Amino acid sequence: MDSDEEDYVFFGKPIEREEEITNRRKKAAAEASGNLRSLPPWKQEVRDEEGRRRFHGAFTGGFSAGYFNTVGTKEGWAPQSFTSSRKNRAEVKQQSIFNFLDEDEKTELESQNLGTSSQFDTFGFTAAEYARKQANKEQKQRPSAIPGPVPDELILPASESIGVKLLLKMGWRRGRAIKDLHASSLYDARREARKAFLAFASEDTKASHPTDFEPVEGEPENFLAQPADDDAQSSQSLPVFVINPKQDLHGLGYDPFKHAPEFREKKRSRLSNDKQHGYRKAISIKDSLFGSKSGKAASGFGIGALEEFDAEDEDIYAAGYDFEETVIEEDEEPSRLSVESKKKAVRKDQGVLRGFKVATVSDYQLERFDPPIIPKDFVPHHKFPGPLETLKKLDVPSPPEVPPPDDNNLKLLIEGVATLVARCGKLFEDLSRKKNQSNPLFSFLSGGNGHDYYDRKLWEEHQKRGDQAKLSLDGKLSPSVQKMTAENRGKLLGEKPLERSSRETTSSSVASGDFVQLQFNLSDTFKKPESFNELPEVAKPFKDDPAKQERFEQFLKEKYEGGLRSMGSSAASNMSEAARAHERLDFEAAAEAIEKGKRGKESLISEQPFDFLATGMQFTSGVQEVKDTHAENLMTKKMYPRREEFQWRPLPVLCKRFDLIDPFMGKPPPAPRMRSKIDSLLFMPDYVKGAKLEEDLVTNRDVPVAQTDAQKTIEDVAGKEIEVAAENVERPVDLYKAIFSDDSDEDVEDINTKKVEDQEKKIEVATTTLNRLIAGDFLESLGKELGLEVPPDMPYSTNNVSTPTQKETPNGENAILSPLEGRTFCAPKSVSGTSLNPGQETAQDGELAKNESIPGRSVRYSSKYPDGLSENISGKVNMEKIAQEDKKGKSSSRHQRNWSSSSSSEDERSRKQSRRHRYRSSDSYSDSASDHHDRYRSRSKGRRKKSSREKSSSSRKHSKHHKHRNRDSPSRSHQVSEREHSEARKEKRIRRD
Amino acid sequence: MSVKELPRKEANVLNGHEGAVLAARFNSDGNYCLSCGKDRTIRLWNPHRGIHIKTYKAHGREVRDVHVTPDNSKLCSCGGDRQIFFWDVSTGRVIRKFRGHDGEVNAVKFNEYASVVVSAGYDRSLRAWDCRSHSTEPIQIIDSFLDTVMSVCLTKTEIIGGSVDGTVRTFDIRIGREISDDLGQPVNCISMSNDGNCILASCLDSTLRLLDRSTGELLQEYKGHTCKSYKMDCCLTNNDAHVIGGSEDGSIFFWDLVDASVVSKFRAHSSVG
Repeated sequence: MDSDEEDYVFFGKPIEREEEITNRRKKAAAEASGNLRSLPPWKQEVRDEEGRRRFHGAFTGGFSAGYFNTVGTKEGWAPQSFTSSRKNRAEVKQQSIFNFLDEDEKTELESQNLGTSSQFDTFGFTAAEYARKQANKEQKQRPSAIPGPVPDELILPASESIGVKLLLKMGWRRGRAIKDLHASSLYDARREARKAFLAFASEDTKASHPTDFEPVEGEPENFLAQPADDDAQSSQSLPVFVINPKQDLHGLGYDPFKHAPEFREKKRSRLSNDKQHGYRKAISIKDSLFGSKSGKAASGFGIGALEEFDAEDEDIYAAGYDFEETVIEEDEEPSRLSVESKKKAVRKDQGVLRGFKVATVSDYQLERFDPPIIPKDFVPHHKFPGPLETLKKLDVPSPPEVPPPDDNNLKLLIEGVATLVARCGKLFEDLSRKKNQSNPLFSFLSGGNGHDYYDRKLWEEHQKRGDQAKLSLDGKLSPSVQKMTAENRGKLLGEKPLERSSRETTSSSVASGDFVQLQFNLSDTFKKPESFNELPEVAKPFKDDPAKQERFEQFLKEKYEGGLRSMGSSAASNMSEAARAHERLDFEAAAEAIEKGKRGKESLISEQPFDFLATGMQFTSGVQEVKDTHAENLMTKKMYPRREEFQWRPLPVLCKRFDLIDPFMGKPPPAPRMRSKIDSLLFMPDYVKGAKLEEDLVTNRDVPVAQTDAQKTIEDVAGKEIEVAAENVERPVDLYKAIFSDDSDEDVEDINTKKVEDQEKKIEVATTTLNRLIAGDFLESLGKELGLEVPPDMPYSTNNVSTPTQKETPNGENAILSPLEGRTFCAPKSVSGTSLNPGQETAQDGELAKNESIPGRSVRYSSKYPDGLSENISGKVNMEKIAQEDKKGKSSSRHQRNWSSSSSSEDERSRKQSRRHRYRSSDSYSDSASDHHDRYRSRSKGRRKKSSREKSSSSRKHSKHHKHRNRDSPSRSHQVSEREHSEARKEKRIRRD
Repeated sequence: MSVKELPRKEANVLNGHEGAVLAARFNSDGNYCLSCGKDRTIRLWNPHRGIHIKTYKAHGREVRDVHVTPDNSKLCSCGGDRQIFFWDVSTGRVIRKFRGHDGEVNAVKFNEYASVVVSAGYDRSLRAWDCRSHSTEPIQIIDSFLDTVMSVCLTKTEIIGGSVDGTVRTFDIRIGREISDDLGQPVNCISMSNDGNCILASCLDSTLRLLDRSTGELLQEYKGHTCKSYKMDCCLTNNDAHVIGGSEDGSIFFWDLVDASVVSKFRAHSSVG
């Protein structure tokens, strides 16, 4: 073989395959190259003189090798001792191939490996990788590691220090593990560490170990060891600190706070808090390290004292520069420092980072301030800036008791004014005095007749108000609800202010006809301004068929009063579509006919517009001015066109189809809009008010109130009747109008508010909050008119004010109201009003009142009927009017049939029945007891279903009611019928569509 | 266009309807016109030559209004049968029927892209119907009117409806606002000025009212005709110089836009109704 090779000339180096490489061949190659001489002696082969390898002998090992066939080392055999004790355990070493290879074999093997040469490691990749590995390891050791801050002195600057440069010059490479890299296992490292600990704990081997340890590797790492950190001894490379270390367990580049940046800050602050602790702790440890050099040194060198100091160790402690590392070590080797024995106890503390303790002395101090000093004269009550001077005036000496003036009217007037003044303040008195200078009735204001009595009354009122104010203060009435004035609300609702109504002043002496006028005017505000009151008989084209007539009225109402229609009316109905359509056409035709007739009348009326108004003027001292109709017309013209804006939400699809951007994109769907403002605000039940007043009545029953005899009896027996209470509300309007009527607006407002109340039927939720508003409205408006701040509503005064007025016109009222009722819907259910037995509890009473008297003045509806005729505005603009007019006769009978056949529930039937009753009675104004009785019965039957409580109470009261029905039934029935009517109206509305 | 150029001569009589004609509408370029009436038909005419082109029959009751898309390809109509019909002009077939109004439908209009039909109904609502999808449900119901909606106008961004409750309500889709102009009188018919700044509203008190759309101001009132119970159309001339309105006595009135004087009137029909 050799000879063969010699025949050829080889250029270059033959490509060697790894598998081919054997020792022998290599040696041969080396021999051939002639560099054997330079080999160490144990590598040199022993040859005989002929150049052949000396054969040592087949039985003794073949060829001669090594140190003359003895051992592979110069020293020869050195027995390896094996010791293992309890404290110092011999470890089971994992054996690798390297353990059995000679040095030269190892180098051989190593030379096969590819690796970057250090001189090209320009960017320190290996160093970086090393650092990464280190970090990984650290992570493994403590997955939830909170890396401590890196002290500045431990961060090596990017520009290398002279030491590093020197190292580099000497051949050290950055990031290079200086020792051999073989087999560093975590297990080993731990093992070593533990061993070291144990050794250390006994403190016996402390001194001896370093000596063993020191010279193991005389490698350049010694230069690395910084004086600041003894632990660095074990480190063999320069740690490269990642300034922004990855501390979490998330994937690379994953940012859990991407969409919630607010949490990032939070976490950071939390971390930094922790760090704060860690930092301080670390520092202290460090200090201690510096301070007790000896102990510390031992700690550093303890490791590997018994073992060879090899690669594993360095891995653990390589980051000894790092504070965190120190901490970790501390954790794992609790007993290393005697100093730390104290700290161990602290370590167990909850919420404290392990290895740290809570500082006993913190430099953070809660700053505490003394509470402000309350001045001694401070009174913990809020004083209202308003003219509540009643409080102050309480100490005014009482004027002597004076007998009331003979004139009952004057007396009432005085009382009323006194109440008002007490409520609104002195300014009010001045104003009214000025206004009514010429009015002899008001002479008492300026010291004339009845002045003393006035003084006395005023004083009494003040007293009362004082009490009340105190009460209200205690009760913490919230005045915020009452900020909205009637005027504001009227404006908001788009109401048309009442015109002319000031002329219809009411007093005890006003004739009944005027009352009618007034009522009509009131109702007019909610309808066409041109509408005039008209006798109802004119508009009864369907007298033969009461049901139809009623529907017709309803129709008219809705026709001329579109604003009060409800959208839901297209719901169920018991009439067929066709029948309804026909009926509607009939109605339209009839309405037109009526309108035509009416127009003529209207013109007549307008020629002498003040005839019917003049009567009401006597009380009002001529201050009022008379407006001419032209001005009014102008006014109405001025009002139109009127612009309002609402929010309206187009649906997204619509926007899309219109190729527009949805203005409400991304916003939540709006609450279903109220059909109109009027609906939402107006339909606040008036029964609340009634109930409230009633309560007032109850509470103030013992308040001395002068009453006429007739009224007194009523009050005594049925003092808490809701009807009465409601009346009380109504009356004052007239009184105040009578007193302070120089302008129509005030009345307008008042009446408006009243109207408002009328229609508040639907929304019961809003009742409680707006409750006070209602009662306070009228006074407020009054006060506003006079430029006064009206104090929060006091039930007291309202009551007091109202009662006299109520008394004022007991008979007239009845007389006046009865025709109205008779004409319209005179309350078959009148008895259902809740007059309570005196002993009954008021709570029930109040509730009953709520149940019973759902408002809606019959007056209004009744007057609407004739009024509606003024304008013929049909939704359907008579496209088929002519065609359908001839079907009228037919349709009426059909309606009747539908009507009767469709009755379903007993309740409804009874209601209908009652309605028929109403109709029957509607032509005559008879108020006889029997009639009432009849109605009541029908009504009560219908109502039996409603609620058992109601039922029982009403039946209980039945007999009592009857007793004074004769007297107060008109008014009461008037009230009660409202509810009835509202029901009927609802029903009808449904039917209509 | 001066006063003299105002039409006063009868150019053609389009005979064919077997009953009252309730509406007549030109197409967008003015070459054709559509009429509809109580005979439940819609008829397409060439008014210039007086030719009856096509009849569209499907409505169950009288047809009250009709409108053509700008590209003349589709029709929509409405009427007493509470439905809105969406027609193909050339084939004369009903593409879709939109049901949902609870009452007669008084007026219909396409929007600019012919993607939506907006209808005004006796049920006090405006309803928008989608022509693109196959849904026959309204995509929007505007029910803030208090009474019958008599007519409707559309701009690129707004829906305007005139109602018997006396209001002209503008629904601005862009900003999501409803602007209600209360005229105090039932509004019968509304029409936009060609510059889009004004609305002409025919009220049942025999008055046409011109409203400024931006402020809601009443600019002018036009009187002299009779309009008390029928739906009479009104409009402005193409140059917005004159206001045109029908009267119940069968005549047509021309007013000067600015000074509201009747500049021309002639009797076009024997009577109305």
